[in-house]
Amino acid sequence: MTKRIFSAVFLAAVCVFLASAALFMGVLYDYFSDVQCRQLRMQTDLAAQGVAGLGSDYFTNLPADDYRISWIDADGVVLYDNQLATAAMENHLERQEIQQALAVGIGESRRYSDTLLQRSIYCARLLPNGTVLRLSVAQNTMLTLLLGMLEPMCVIFFIAFGLALLLASRQAKKIVEPLNNLNLDEPLSNDDYDELAPLLNRLDLQQKQIRRQENDLQRKQLEFETVTSNMQEGLVLLNRQGLILSVNSAAARLLGAEEAAVGRDILTVNRSLELSALLDKAAAGEYAEKVLKLNGGEYQLNASPVLTDGTVSGMVLLLFDVREKMKAEQLRREFTANVSHELKTPLHTIAGCSELLVNGLVKPEDTTKFARQIYGEAQRMINLVEDIIKLSHLDEAGGDMRCENVDLYALAENTLKLLLPVAEAAGVELTLQGQPANLFGAPQLLSSIIFNLCDNAIKYNRPNGSVKVAIINDETNVTLTVTDTGIGIPPECQERIFERFYRVDKSRSQAVGGTGLGLSIVKHAARLHNANVNVQSVLGQGSVITVRFSKNAVK
Amino acid sequence: MRSKFDEQLTQLHKELITMGALCEESIAMAAQALTEGNLQTAEQIFDLTLQVRQKEREIESRCMRLLLQQQPVAKDLRLISSALKMVTDMERIGVNSGDIAEILLMRHITAADDTLNIQDMAQAAIKMVTQSIDAFVKLDTELAKAVIAYDDVVDEHFDRAKGLLLELLQQNAVNGEYAMDLLMIAKYFERMGDHAVEIAKWVLFAITGQKDG
Repeated sequence: MTKRIFSAVFLAAVCVFLASAALFMGVLYDYFSDVQCRQLRMQTDLAAQGVAGLGSDYFTNLPADDYRISWIDADGVVLYDNQLATAAMENHLERQEIQQALAVGIGESRRYSDTLLQRSIYCARLLPNGTVLRLSVAQNTMLTLLLGMLEPMCVIFFIAFGLALLLASRQAKKIVEPLNNLNLDEPLSNDDYDELAPLLNRLDLQQKQIRRQENDLQRKQLEFETVTSNMQEGLVLLNRQGLILSVNSAAARLLGAEEAAVGRDILTVNRSLELSALLDKAAAGEYAEKVLKLNGGEYQLNASPVLTDGTVSGMVLLLFDVREKMKAEQLRREFTANVSHELKTPLHTIAGCSELLVNGLVKPEDTTKFARQIYGEAQRMINLVEDIIKLSHLDEAGGDMRCENVDLYALAENTLKLLLPVAEAAGVELTLQGQPANLFGAPQLLSSIIFNLCDNAIKYNRPNGSVKVAIINDETNVTLTVTDTGIGIPPECQERIFERFYRVDKSRSQAVGGTGLGLSIVKHAARLHNANVNVQSVLGQGSVITVRFSKNAVK
Repeated sequence: MRSKFDEQLTQLHKELITMGALCEESIAMAAQALTEGNLQTAEQIFDLTLQVRQKEREIESRCMRLLLQQQPVAKDLRLISSALKMVTDMERIGVNSGDIAEILLMRHITAADDTLNIQDMAQAAIKMVTQSIDAFVKLDTELAKAVIAYDDVVDEHFDRAKGLLLELLQQNAVNGEYAMDLLMIAKYFERMGDHAVEIAKWVLFAITGQKDG
């Protein structure tokens, strides 16, 4: 800034100086040469009169002067010259001023004299005797004038330089100061320069725009982060090279990323070979998935490429917990194995007994025994298949479940009647207490809940034990409690007793009977009624199973 | 020019991490094969060892190319030269895992017999290798120093195992072949710890420019 202002000021000063010098010189030079000419003419006149009067004597006492005086006769021969020796001088007849003087009596000319290396003005006058007197004076050329003025000019030049420097720096400071003090955060608050107004307006506009966009961006980022951080699944966005663009908290936890993982290479966060292989595949444009053990859990990792115009521009890595899924898978496998096993056992007995009968190996009096065994096993199979069918119905979310208003107490009464003989046979006391409780539900399912719970309570009881069924009807809930004095359920098994075919004591299943599906049916039926089932049990002392139906939740 | 160089350095860094991961995997598999007596796992280790070797060649030639073409100085030179040294140690770790697998395949050692606490020793060695590679990934001097200090734990494990084995041999309570193999395996784990220490030292060199020992 200072430099430019300086050069402008300095250039202006120098230009003005030069222009004025040129003008001055031009005008003055003309004026001076004019004055010189007139003086020369006057002197020539005076000298002419002198020479006309005194002849050559005039020259003898002529004082040494600036003027050069030459006396030339009509033939051009120099008779006298006060500065040069006449003998050496050439004929002057051809000179312009002499010619003029010979012709009209007076002549003038300017030229660089051959003899004196400078510009001279000549003035010649014809004397009455036919000779010519010529006076000449050296005239300063422009250059000599200039050379003479070099010193003052230099001084002026330096003064101009210094002044320009001073002014420029001052001016620059003065101009720049308000610019430096511009409040760029609030461009419109500045009013130092009107010239800056459009710029400042634009600045203001852009600032507002930037702020708006920044806010938008921040909001979007926040939204994205809020959404992803609340995700159970881990989500990682990567660019093509494998740099992390975004990672949610679940993924950061799973991959073991500390602090800020964004912007780092995924390899530096987790260098598991399987993960690298997965991402390499995704980077090549293929979808890849794999189940990996991370952080003690099993997670499925899905890596999919982000394609833009057919090229991979990034990758998305999704991690989700498959523990539940794996567990379900395992349960399903176990179920199949169990069903086949449970179906096979009675079939073996049936096949064995009937084979003996067919081959006539059974004594006639034993036939009934064998037939009863076959009948018993067939019954067991029928029960089992019925239970399985019931369960699969329940699995279908009880689509054909007919719901109506049911009195749970009455229902329990009826159900217990069915179980009374069984209880008596086992030597267990079966009691019901409580009050009528109306409930909206499927009577069949509710009755099977009560039946199965009581059946189990009787089966796994001790002789002279008791099973108490209580139905409590309060403001919000109807609670069914079955309390027994049986063998109890070990704590580690309490979660699993509702699984299909799960038995706490597998060795006893044959002796106790049952299909192993009872509690599973209870769980499903309860779920369809939006009821929750709670088990409390002390090993060796008995169990309390509570089914709580919420009055509001029952559909 | 510089950006290309940076890219190449990043690539080198990534390959070193991958090689580290391969080493970790191989040593973890060796430990697992030892615990479970699983010979199938032992055979898989050979494949990993091969991969580690191949990676070493790749990284070496990459380093050479970088040295030739880019003529790095200062920090970059340190990184590349320490990479050259580190891959050797990593390769040794991979090879040691293979050696353990080889011993296991001789079937003198049965699983679940851990009188000498070789499992603990293996875990300690794995920890050292993992941490030394972590130190490189994060360029963490503290972690590198921790690795160097942790070597004493592994050494102590080895000494104790050796002492125990000697006792057992004197009492004639153990099969000689079994004892030798076990000692070899213990030695290999101890060596892995030493290699991890070397890696940690080179990491320190790459960061600080000073290497002791």
